[in-house]
Amino acid sequence: MNGPVTATTHRTTRTAGPLPAAGRPGFGWLLLSEWTKLRSVSRWTVALLTAPVLIILVGLLSAASSQAGNPDSTVSGPDGTWVQDRFHFVHRPLTGDGSVTTRVASTRLELSVPQQDGGDGRTQDVERTVWSKAGLMVKDGLRPGSRYAAVMVTPGHGVRLQSNFTTDIAGPAVGAPTWLRLTRAGSTISAFQSSDGVSWTPAGTVTVPDLPQTVEVGPFVASPAGILMGERQFGTVQFERYPTTTRAVFERPTLEPARATGAASGEPQDGWRDDEVNDEAGQSGPPLPAGARPDKTPQAGPPAAEWAGDRLTLVGVGDIAPRTKSEDVIKLGLTGAYAGLMALVAVAVLFVTTEYRRGMLRTTFTASPRRGRVLVAKAMVVGAVTFVIGLVAGVAALLITLPITRDNGFLPPVYPDWSLIDPTVLRAIVGTAGVLAAIAVFSLALGTVLRRAAGAVAIVIVLIILPQLLAGALPTAAGQWLMRLTPPAGFSVQQTVPHYEQVPRICIPENGCVYDQPWAGFAVVCGYALVTMAVALWLLRRRDA
Amino acid sequence: MTESPPRSGVTIEVRGLRKRYRSTVAVDDLSFTVEPGMVTGFVGPNGAGKSTTMRIILGLDAADEGSALVGGRPYRVLDRPLRTVGALLDAAAVHPGRSARNHLLWLAQSNAIPRRRVDEVLDLAGLATVAKRNVGGFSLGMRQRLGIAAALLGDPAVVIFDEPINGLDIEGIQWIRSLLRSLAGEGRAVLVSSHLMSELEDTADHLLVIGRGRLLADTSVRELVTTASGDRVAVRTGMRTEAMTTLANAGALATITDGETVTVSGLPVEHVIELLTRDGVAFTGVSAHRASLEEAYMELTRDAVEFGAAAGREG
Repeated sequence: MNGPVTATTHRTTRTAGPLPAAGRPGFGWLLLSEWTKLRSVSRWTVALLTAPVLIILVGLLSAASSQAGNPDSTVSGPDGTWVQDRFHFVHRPLTGDGSVTTRVASTRLELSVPQQDGGDGRTQDVERTVWSKAGLMVKDGLRPGSRYAAVMVTPGHGVRLQSNFTTDIAGPAVGAPTWLRLTRAGSTISAFQSSDGVSWTPAGTVTVPDLPQTVEVGPFVASPAGILMGERQFGTVQFERYPTTTRAVFERPTLEPARATGAASGEPQDGWRDDEVNDEAGQSGPPLPAGARPDKTPQAGPPAAEWAGDRLTLVGVGDIAPRTKSEDVIKLGLTGAYAGLMALVAVAVLFVTTEYRRGMLRTTFTASPRRGRVLVAKAMVVGAVTFVIGLVAGVAALLITLPITRDNGFLPPVYPDWSLIDPTVLRAIVGTAGVLAAIAVFSLALGTVLRRAAGAVAIVIVLIILPQLLAGALPTAAGQWLMRLTPPAGFSVQQTVPHYEQVPRICIPENGCVYDQPWAGFAVVCGYALVTMAVALWLLRRRDA
Repeated sequence: MTESPPRSGVTIEVRGLRKRYRSTVAVDDLSFTVEPGMVTGFVGPNGAGKSTTMRIILGLDAADEGSALVGGRPYRVLDRPLRTVGALLDAAAVHPGRSARNHLLWLAQSNAIPRRRVDEVLDLAGLATVAKRNVGGFSLGMRQRLGIAAALLGDPAVVIFDEPINGLDIEGIQWIRSLLRSLAGEGRAVLVSSHLMSELEDTADHLLVIGRGRLLADTSVRELVTTASGDRVAVRTGMRTEAMTTLANAGALATITDGETVTVSGLPVEHVIELLTRDGVAFTGVSAHRASLEEAYMELTRDAVEFGAAAGREG
């Protein structure tokens, strides 16, 4: 078709007003220019808007199909953390300030179900990972979940001072036999360790607020079950649970100030009472449906404490620690990021490869001969746009999935209430948006290096999807490294369930838990983006356009 | 860095330019100057190295040797290149999903050119009514107009058009020609390439003829025609042998071209008539042969046309 102008006349080619003459235009102009490019192709806008829709939709489906398990117990600690609080406690009351001292003569861990197939080293694995605990405790009564502070020996982890389930302080790296002492001054609890009962080494101090005037103090033993990952079948994981018991021998448990309580017969065990604290007892009470938890026959408690002179032998099971859960509600709500990512990757790649395909890059580089600046501007525009999309979609997905997960049984204390401004939730949302932005920049850079859309998109998608498929099939260690070194590592930033050093952690690599530090995986993705950008910048300067 | 681009008086200076792509020499020791205030035609067969030279001037391709300066500076160091040089390399190099206006807008923004100038050049190129339509629906002619609008965005002192007439209808060709003339009339340096001499015949003031990467002629249109005509005179006569003798004695090169005709070169037509009359050689007609620009060009580039599969990059 013809242009609608008359052929022979044309208006002046001069400008009506002056154009800016001197000086290099600021980088902001270049950003504006690239933003105009991005927003002015309607197909890209549609693709970009598909991303939040996918993120929300997939989050919705995941939430709808999720089901919270039936917890063994719903006891929570003083700060609301879901905890296990089961141990064998020999105690007596202490009113006001004072201290309790004992010598832990020996501890012995046993698997309560003997292993027939002993040759596979499972027993050693359990012994290595289990934090059995024997020591002294100060506790606000015997109610499971109540406040406490305790000093203990833990085979392989030395002397520890722990309080209120989540606090864990490492003391001297010694094991039994050793002397331990716990002193109370108001709400300050201090721990000491000694090899001879004469010279004492401080092993830490904690503050336990709101501890009542009278507390129960004395020796305790706990022995958690070991949980090991079984052989992996393709895509499925089996966990094996190995219950343990720990037998500890305490010598001369003494209370200062000594107060003769009740009838003083002069025997060492006078005044000490023997109890098992158990958060799971009585929990399984009211609405147990018929046939539910068939393997959960109420376990017989450990044998009672035995006194031989001033020697006390105590057998314990259970643990005093935060409970772990496999499901992370926040991570669940943000699952859709994977789906939305695909649309974002496509646009990021096309943003540069279409310029190559159509020779438009020459127009771009005649307008802005400093090529590095152009690519950096493109990366910033693509990064910022994907970041904002990720942020908005993440917030929306979480808010939409919140009531659904509630309905599906994700309730406190197992799944604590959360709000968008919780630091961990905020980190998950911002981090997810950051991972999307970093992968978009990586895609753009790869598109620049390869100059072909199909190849670049394929590589990025393979790098994101394949590790997750392979991680499920590979041996755990290999799968772990694969997930650590590939872009999906970034999604470990979505973890909001806290991890405790004193609680062994089961990690299925493809679940995005390969880094303990949530930001570490994000750094890996940023590494991909930065290295590829550097290569792209180098090639861009070197190549003819 | 201060840059106050003069709106006229800016030249393109190419010195000793050499560029090879693997085994193919695209540009071979090319030197020329494009002067302001005139239209310089850049002609040569396809593959001669025209586009490569233009890309090197625009800093897109790196020369292996030599330099190309715009207003005395390499293109890549220009602060706002669109204010100095406007270029149309490939009218198809636009995203089909973007509107004409947005295409010009991002270009303008990259050089901090105000938005109103976008509307000015749209108007100038006659695209005001289709400004909001996607370029994908444009004809080749409309795309050429858009490319020219883009080139004029920065009101540049130097204009470089690669094959701007390609694909235009008569109306469009006339529009381009008058545009080129007026751009030169405003004091700008205008470099226009074509593989067809006829396209530039009435427009160019000066010609750069290039073949196989080498400069074959750097001349005005008139000089080129005169040189190519080579003072050849055709004599029709029945006395061919006598005519040959006479002319050969006078030092001219004469050849019998067909039964009745002797072609003479090296002597002006008046002198030929005088000699033949003096020696009594009868002739029925004498005509000075004047080469067309096209012929002159054909003769110049005859050896330089790349035959066969030296396809590679369009030159």
